[in-house]
Amino acid sequence: MKKKKMWFSLLLAVVVIIMSACSSNNTSGDGKKDGKTVLRFATWDTGDTLKIQQDIAKAFEKENKDVKVQVEAYGDGFDQKIAASFGAKNPPDVMYMWDFTTYNQSLEPLDGYVKKDPDIKMDDFYDGLFNYSKVDGKLYGMPAGFSTMVVYYNKKLFDQYQIPYPKEGWTWDEFKETAKKLTDKSKKQYGFAVTSEPDTYDLQGLVWSNGGSFISDDGKKIDGAMNSPETVEAIQMYGDMVKDGIAVSTGGKNQQSASAIFKANKLGMLINGIWPIQGYKDAKVDFGTAMIPSFGSKPVKGLISSSSISIAKDSKQKDLAWKFVKFYSSEQAIKMRTADLPVRKSIVEETKVNEDPLYKPFYTMLENATNTPAFLMNRNWNEINRNLSAAINAVMIGQDGKPLFDKAVKDSEKYLAK
Amino acid sequence: MKGKKRLQKSFVYGLLIALSLLFLLPFFWMVMTSLKGPEELSQFPPKLFPSKWHFENFSKAWNSQPFNLFLVNSLIVTALTTIGQIISSTLVAYGFARFKFKGRDFLFIILLATMMIPWDVTMIPQYMEFNLFGWINTLKALIVPSWFGSAFYIFLLRQFIMSIPKELDEAARIDGANVFQIYYKIYLPLVWPVIVLIAVFNILGSWNDYLGPLIFLNDQSKYTLTLGLAQFKGVHDVDTNGIMAVTFLISIVPLILFFLAQKKIVEGVQTTGLK
Amino acid sequence: MKSGLSVNLAPSSLQIKRKKQWSKLIPYLFVSPWIIGFVVFTLGPLLFSFVISFFDWPIVGEKKFIGFSNYITMFTDDPLFWHSLWVTVKFALFFVPLNIILALLLAILLHQKVKGSSLFRTFFYVPSVISGVALAMIWGSVFDGEYGILNYLLSLIGIDGPDWLNSMNWALVAMVIASLWGQGTMMLIFLAGLKNIPLDLYEAAEIDGAGKIYQFFKITVPLLSPTILFNLIMTIIGAFQTLTLALVLTGGGPLQSTYFYAMYVYENAFKYFKMGYSSANAWIMFLIVLALTMLVFKSSSMWVYYENEVKSEK
Repeated sequence: MKKKKMWFSLLLAVVVIIMSACSSNNTSGDGKKDGKTVLRFATWDTGDTLKIQQDIAKAFEKENKDVKVQVEAYGDGFDQKIAASFGAKNPPDVMYMWDFTTYNQSLEPLDGYVKKDPDIKMDDFYDGLFNYSKVDGKLYGMPAGFSTMVVYYNKKLFDQYQIPYPKEGWTWDEFKETAKKLTDKSKKQYGFAVTSEPDTYDLQGLVWSNGGSFISDDGKKIDGAMNSPETVEAIQMYGDMVKDGIAVSTGGKNQQSASAIFKANKLGMLINGIWPIQGYKDAKVDFGTAMIPSFGSKPVKGLISSSSISIAKDSKQKDLAWKFVKFYSSEQAIKMRTADLPVRKSIVEETKVNEDPLYKPFYTMLENATNTPAFLMNRNWNEINRNLSAAINAVMIGQDGKPLFDKAVKDSEKYLAK
Repeated sequence: MKGKKRLQKSFVYGLLIALSLLFLLPFFWMVMTSLKGPEELSQFPPKLFPSKWHFENFSKAWNSQPFNLFLVNSLIVTALTTIGQIISSTLVAYGFARFKFKGRDFLFIILLATMMIPWDVTMIPQYMEFNLFGWINTLKALIVPSWFGSAFYIFLLRQFIMSIPKELDEAARIDGANVFQIYYKIYLPLVWPVIVLIAVFNILGSWNDYLGPLIFLNDQSKYTLTLGLAQFKGVHDVDTNGIMAVTFLISIVPLILFFLAQKKIVEGVQTTGLK
Repeated sequence: MKSGLSVNLAPSSLQIKRKKQWSKLIPYLFVSPWIIGFVVFTLGPLLFSFVISFFDWPIVGEKKFIGFSNYITMFTDDPLFWHSLWVTVKFALFFVPLNIILALLLAILLHQKVKGSSLFRTFFYVPSVISGVALAMIWGSVFDGEYGILNYLLSLIGIDGPDWLNSMNWALVAMVIASLWGQGTMMLIFLAGLKNIPLDLYEAAEIDGAGKIYQFFKITVPLLSPTILFNLIMTIIGAFQTLTLALVLTGGGPLQSTYFYAMYVYENAFKYFKMGYSSANAWIMFLIVLALTMLVFKSSSMWVYYENEVKSEK
């Protein structure tokens, strides 16, 4: 009997704990908290960049005393979380967004709001950025930040081998030559790093620069674009650099990244966006940046990676959400976003960030970023991309490109008709 | 004879030590990585020990976010789910193992079947359901379901209860004990090692659960440790030091609990007064 | 308590009948927590996912009924379905037996009377405590072709190791090795099972002059068989659901050589947003695993030995 009593009291205690643990926090969804309206804002930012989001939210709260901005940081799990909450019709009010072709049906078009608010000064934004958040002519997101791709190079290694630093207008032949000089296999030191499973998105600048493309200009055909000699040649060049031993092959996902090798001073050059720049500084790498090389006399093409913020169609407080989006696009907030490049021209003019030698190449590449990425040109790009990724992956681990791309085109044709 | 025994013993020890090294190496590597500076993270040949010990990495990582708060949330969830699992799973397992009743085998197949459908496809409807209950963004969504047993533990307990001789409860029944008394006076003490085992598994499972909190929790003040940990891995940049440091710190709790619990697991039935 | 009260009275036939009915309910009472939980938390979502498998549902859009299309597409027009299934089967063929054998061997080793056994038990369990991204990063730095620890160690003994995670042949092997590391759960279950075997059985066998190997197969294995059954079934289910490591370490590559079926289900749902199709994938996987489990269960009457069942037959 003693044991029974013990069990019973244990059970009772647990029930009490549950009740108290659960009843004290009654803020599910878009309710109110401490008399304040809660606005949910989801981001994929982490670490220091997440702090920036929280600061912006706080600045907004300062101006709107009756609002609490709930910053929801999902990091790597962002897509899964957002998808699940959209599926269950309980999405955050405001969220980061880039994949507009997939999500636009669930997002609130912003054209009406923008029209009503002339003081948002739409012409102050870099024009190209709106292309990334428009689907069928409708605007679904306001630009929040962006980056272009540049070459990072390790000055210490360049000095050690007495190689001159990269100059504007250099070519891939010069790049390969440089990479070769920087490579010392016995030290496991390489001139360049190639990801064996790259995001096809990141390779588009390279392909465009060689006059190729993944998809035709009208977004309806891939035959003759994805498998064109120019496209294949550009991708094959990366694969060959690994084969020739002047580039190290880095794995996907959480394997040894090019950045890690760069930080260890074992990598001469790599191509990346603005994001790791603080990490390289923290690791005390002596580095510089340069624009991406060109294929001979062909013009170099830049690639923009942009993030925007959007409002969910299912949000029950869209006006408040817009107020936040507008604040987020204001000069005050954009100035706070220091982890990527400012989307407003006036800020660049004010801070002169484009004259900083480390940042200048990003702006040079921005001037050349005039092409539209493939994912914005076809609704079924995700499906097509599955086959393209497989082909590129095969090239990067040493297979011959042409037949692989032909096969990717053949396997993807069925998605184009849809 | 004695020499042979000694040889055998030293062989066993040799094997144990060699295997221990093998199993500890990744953990050791993790701890050492968390103590390195960013410039030392990838080196060749790999260096086991950092040239400079960055102990501040731990406090830096822990304080970069409200990890104390996450710790409290994790503790609440882990404690409450574990108690719930133990109570419900032992009851259910006893029911399945010791009674013949209509539909038993069918129900048991369904029980097993619930483990075979990946969560990917039931997650969204479950989200909808919990949303209806008002459980989204509360720890309830993580805790309450565990009070209704889970297939893995029920199945495990059933296997152990079934290997206990039935004469035992017949004797007790003659002494006038009812089924509930038999359950908690005879069977619970007998399967105690397995209950501890279940506690160990559930503590670890709940402690390390990432997907559940990710899907059901929104507000940072409700986050568990794993969600906090995920904040070191962004889309563009990874904080290797932070991930390794926090993973090590949060593994301390389950490891200590395991070390304390493992003696109970191996006590076995024969020492609990069966014979 | 009801039974206590009835002792004082002369039991009438009605009371006996009532008591019988009551006792018929008792087993259901015991399993009721699970039944309630199943109905409330699991059944709805399960049915939902089954129904949605006949729909085209892009998660962020409207649902459209399309009959058996998802199932037909899967079998006739999606090479990835067959490919991922084949990868999973290959993985399971290696992983399931190796995992069981390794866990059993470790458990037997720990079962020996040795000093410091608590420590050894903890050491063997340590890998199971690490999860998620850190685990992937550790394996990433172990298996890396250029800078990896494993290849460095191999180079010390003159072997030029492969680029594990970028090689179509070795990536799956690496996955098996990495998965075996986390055998701690199975090992503990075996250990608990081993401790349940009465020692006097071994003593009796010793007196009869039986050798260690004979003892293992005639005492340990039969008496451990309920635990083996459990571990076998759980490992099979686990092998088919293997996802995390592939997701965070190889992403299914290179060239989809580690593209497990569970990853196929996951990506269809959360990368390609085809929830209906993904649900259909999941239900096919369910049927496969269920069939395998039933097969094992059916065979278990031949090799699994339950103390109470044998006793009650006598």
